[in-house]
Amino acid sequence: MNQGLPVAGGRETAIQVWQLSRGYRLRLAATGALGLLSTGADLVVPVAIGFLVDRAQAGTANLATVLTVTAVMALSAVLGASGTALTIVLATHVYHSLLAALRERLVEHTMTLPQHLVEQAGTGDLISRSSDDVNAVADAAPTVIPAITVTVFTIVVSLGGLAALEWPYAASFAVALPVYLLAVRWFLRTGPGVYRAERTAMSARAQQILESQRGYATVLGFGIAEQRHQAVMTDSWRVAVQSLRARTVLSMLNARLNLGEYLSLATVLVVGFALIRLEASTVGGATTAMLLVLRLLGPLNQLLLVVDTLQSALTSLSRMLGAVTTVPVPPGNSQQTAGRAVQLDQVSFRYGQGPLVLDHIVLNVPPGQHLAVVGVSGAGKTTLAGLVAGTHLPESGTVIRPRRTAMITQEIHVFAGTLRDNLTLAAPEAGDREIQAALAATGAVEILDHAPNGLDTILGVNGHPITEAQAQQLALARLLLADADLVILDEATAEAGSTYAGELDRAADAVLAGRTAIVVAHRLSQAATCDQIVVMEQGRIIETGQHDELLTAGGVYARLWAAWESDR
Amino acid sequence: MSDTAGLGRGPLTRWLPVFLLAPAQPPTAQTFGTGPGTTPGRFLLHVIFSVRHLSVPAMLLAIVWQVGESAVPVVMGLAIDRALATGDAQQLGLWLGVLAALYIALTSAARFSLRLTAYAVQVLQHRLRGALSTRVLHPIGANARAPDGAVVSMMTTDVMRLANGVILTVIPVSRITSIGFIAASLLVTHWILGLVVLVGAPAVVWSTGALSARLSRDTREYQALLASTVGRATDLVTGYRVIKGMHAEAEAARRYRQASQETLAGARRNASLLGRFLAGSGLINGTFVAAVLGLAGWFAVDGQLSIGGLITSVGLTQALLPQIQAIANVSIPNYAGAHAASARILDLLQEHTTSATAPAEPHDVRAIPALDVNLPAGRTFRVEPGELVGLRADDRTAARIVEALVNPRAETGVGVCLDGISGRELSPDEYRSRVTVAPQRATLFSGSLRENVAQGSPARVDAAVRAASCDDFATDLDISVGEGGNRLSGGQRQRVALARALAGDAPVLVLHDPTTAVDSVTEHAIASRLPAVRAGRSTLLIASAPALLAACDRVVDLPAAGSVP
Repeated sequence: MNQGLPVAGGRETAIQVWQLSRGYRLRLAATGALGLLSTGADLVVPVAIGFLVDRAQAGTANLATVLTVTAVMALSAVLGASGTALTIVLATHVYHSLLAALRERLVEHTMTLPQHLVEQAGTGDLISRSSDDVNAVADAAPTVIPAITVTVFTIVVSLGGLAALEWPYAASFAVALPVYLLAVRWFLRTGPGVYRAERTAMSARAQQILESQRGYATVLGFGIAEQRHQAVMTDSWRVAVQSLRARTVLSMLNARLNLGEYLSLATVLVVGFALIRLEASTVGGATTAMLLVLRLLGPLNQLLLVVDTLQSALTSLSRMLGAVTTVPVPPGNSQQTAGRAVQLDQVSFRYGQGPLVLDHIVLNVPPGQHLAVVGVSGAGKTTLAGLVAGTHLPESGTVIRPRRTAMITQEIHVFAGTLRDNLTLAAPEAGDREIQAALAATGAVEILDHAPNGLDTILGVNGHPITEAQAQQLALARLLLADADLVILDEATAEAGSTYAGELDRAADAVLAGRTAIVVAHRLSQAATCDQIVVMEQGRIIETGQHDELLTAGGVYARLWAAWESDR
Repeated sequence: MSDTAGLGRGPLTRWLPVFLLAPAQPPTAQTFGTGPGTTPGRFLLHVIFSVRHLSVPAMLLAIVWQVGESAVPVVMGLAIDRALATGDAQQLGLWLGVLAALYIALTSAARFSLRLTAYAVQVLQHRLRGALSTRVLHPIGANARAPDGAVVSMMTTDVMRLANGVILTVIPVSRITSIGFIAASLLVTHWILGLVVLVGAPAVVWSTGALSARLSRDTREYQALLASTVGRATDLVTGYRVIKGMHAEAEAARRYRQASQETLAGARRNASLLGRFLAGSGLINGTFVAAVLGLAGWFAVDGQLSIGGLITSVGLTQALLPQIQAIANVSIPNYAGAHAASARILDLLQEHTTSATAPAEPHDVRAIPALDVNLPAGRTFRVEPGELVGLRADDRTAARIVEALVNPRAETGVGVCLDGISGRELSPDEYRSRVTVAPQRATLFSGSLRENVAQGSPARVDAAVRAASCDDFATDLDISVGEGGNRLSGGQRQRVALARALAGDAPVLVLHDPTTAVDSVTEHAIASRLPAVRAGRSTLLIASAPALLAACDRVVDLPAAGSVP
């Protein structure tokens, strides 16, 4: 099965987050101080009530006392709320800044990963890391940040308050502490695995849905709607099973926290009872202590409510970090030169641990020459193109290619964005005149003529639809704009039907003119016009030469050509 | 004994049974009926009340849980008044016992309520996904429009939001009951306090809700921004090979960074609004609670309320706050999210209503029928039973014919008849059991080679694999093809798709350009094997490759539409 990209461990995640936070640490410290001060205001209400209870019991209070106490309580509540709100705003700003930095690094890093790593992991994995996981981490902000900010400071402040009141009251929390610690330890040990399993099941489900959507015509044409439906539903229920496990773990955590709550409150009663008997505390003091403990429990429960979100955000974070830290190890030697020639020396390559796909390839393409690569499918032509283009790195041997190399393959993708954005991907500086010239040269003006908003027409998933042949013309125009020294076409015009083949071949000729080129082709008419032809079989080059030479030699190429000719 | 449930339980608790884990097999999914007059609100109600057998018990348990939580300060207040103020040890023991009983009740209720609710959410998600899957993604007939990429997020995010709506029938109900309990307890303590809370609490919930409106609007804007950034990442990663080939990595990253920074600005603005909302709601809540406490304090000073009564009132008022906040901050957004998702899902379901109605009686179509394709301007051709017919047509005409063959009800202007009966009149089942169409751009599905080929029919896999000339790479049929077949080369993918089409042994098989990515030697091999593997069945081969057309019984030439008057 797919060998996914790594996931960062807990320790690694912590270290990486710490490194990311460089530049924000001072701000975070200031935010912390503000949070502590604001939560401190929360102490006023319990103390004020305790004071009122004692005064009322002693009969020494009047309306003025009550009004003053009420005003103080209201004021402290307002100050506390404002301060806490500001703390949350500041913390959220930092959080989002860090997230933005991380997601940008993730996409940037994805682009530089060696292609075979991505193929192994599957683009679905990377897509889910750069979308679902980014979402999960972003969605956590509005609930998790307030909960954590409030809880952490409330614990500190309430404990301080309890200790200031009468230190034995603080013991009530000490009794419950081991229960809480054990609960958290259990949760941290159990939770991540359960949540990861849930997330993995979700990825698989999304992939199933995506494939059915992309293969709608296949599903209909084959009448396999029922099988595909069952596959989606099976994966859907797998998610349900994992999700319920996760919620069960959550409800078990809830029960453990309840036990801690009970122990805290019971201890307050026992300690208060003893202190009042010893006349070391008053009923008002016990009321304050009770209110302080209750105050503490609220935020703790709040934290429980978001632990779910937090946990999934952490899982996502570790997946994002895992993708960022994958270190690309270039096994062989791939060099770029300022020249326009291509040289391959003893280049071998395999996918992962698989068999050798390229076996000691030696190849020279002088500047400005066109080289055709032919052979039956599975001979290693596409892999060879990838190595020359630099999307694969050789296992051994040396690849030397021009710095400005560009390749297009059968893989067609119209990017979501304007027509202009699609064309200037590899030439960001290109102006409208150059763009139009490129469209004209590749015979793609028709696309522009039909685009409702000209070059600003939005293409892609939900945009203006274009046909596959047009998408391929766009790719050729894009290639022309890139103005590369070496151009590689990997069966770039293969999937077009009969009508467009000629048009696309003419567009390809326009792109290749005056450049060094490597053309992987199974339409041998394309190969015949190249300066040099290599024939591949099982990862090796078995014949090299010009069209006429190879025909005269009567080898594999001659046979391929005969088969091709007989069809014309 | 091992911890079989995998919940990390220690030796003390692992012998306990775990209730309400999901069964390995899904419950039979019933779909949701939607008429033309269904409104999003009604659909939401229909969905969330469809699991009453789970949500009603969950709600009752949640009431026990939430009222129990609110009763904790009351019990504590009573304990301080009866035990601590009097110094009576017996009373202390009694109240510790009451507190313990209360906690046992509320924690058990919470546990089962949470799990029942979670189960209800999952069952609903599964059913909704089932409805979308059969109606939109995998229609038995065919939809007027193919589902676009939005269906993926619809079947994950929106389904989740709508299913979460069921929580509205559980948690807010219990919270409102709990607020009622607090008000009633205060009424008993001092009627004015109870009245203030009864009037004040809804006012506070309402004003907090009003405050949150601006925040919610902005949150939606921000979420749209985030979605577009996330969408951009998805788009760039999907087009990853193109970017790599063009060495446009830096430009792609720059574009993403730009989108990401715009989203960051939106996130910051949203956080500031959240801050304003929190400060505002803190102001309202804080002054309300201070006022109630002050009032209770005055009654105590004035002698209208005992000290115990004061402490209880304080406790109750404290318990009020989280309930109000939770309704305003969690339930209202949950409702908004569920309602919006309901509207989107309903739209999609109604848009994809399959017009197919089951015919009263089956049509008289032979097992291997004659296939007629009627194009505009009287151009027409027929494939007799058992024939292998080649069709040469320009790309646009070919594409239209294939679309009509995939879905004879589609508005293509091309008519398809089986044994003279229009494909529009045949039931999807009748049509589909006769005609299989392998589109030009074939999609492979994640799984093994065998699973992909066997999607047609499991019995003839080996013969099909040979006929499609896959023998060179398909020696082991159990290897994975990768996502969408990305571990295979273009030519290999195409041959696996061909094998899948041949394995099905369909009475009528339509192949559209099955070998464009295959080299000429292999194409010859395929062409030579095709007649034997399709013997006795009808085949329409739409292609331009001479080798393939040469293998056909006869070839139909359709001139381009433009050249026919």
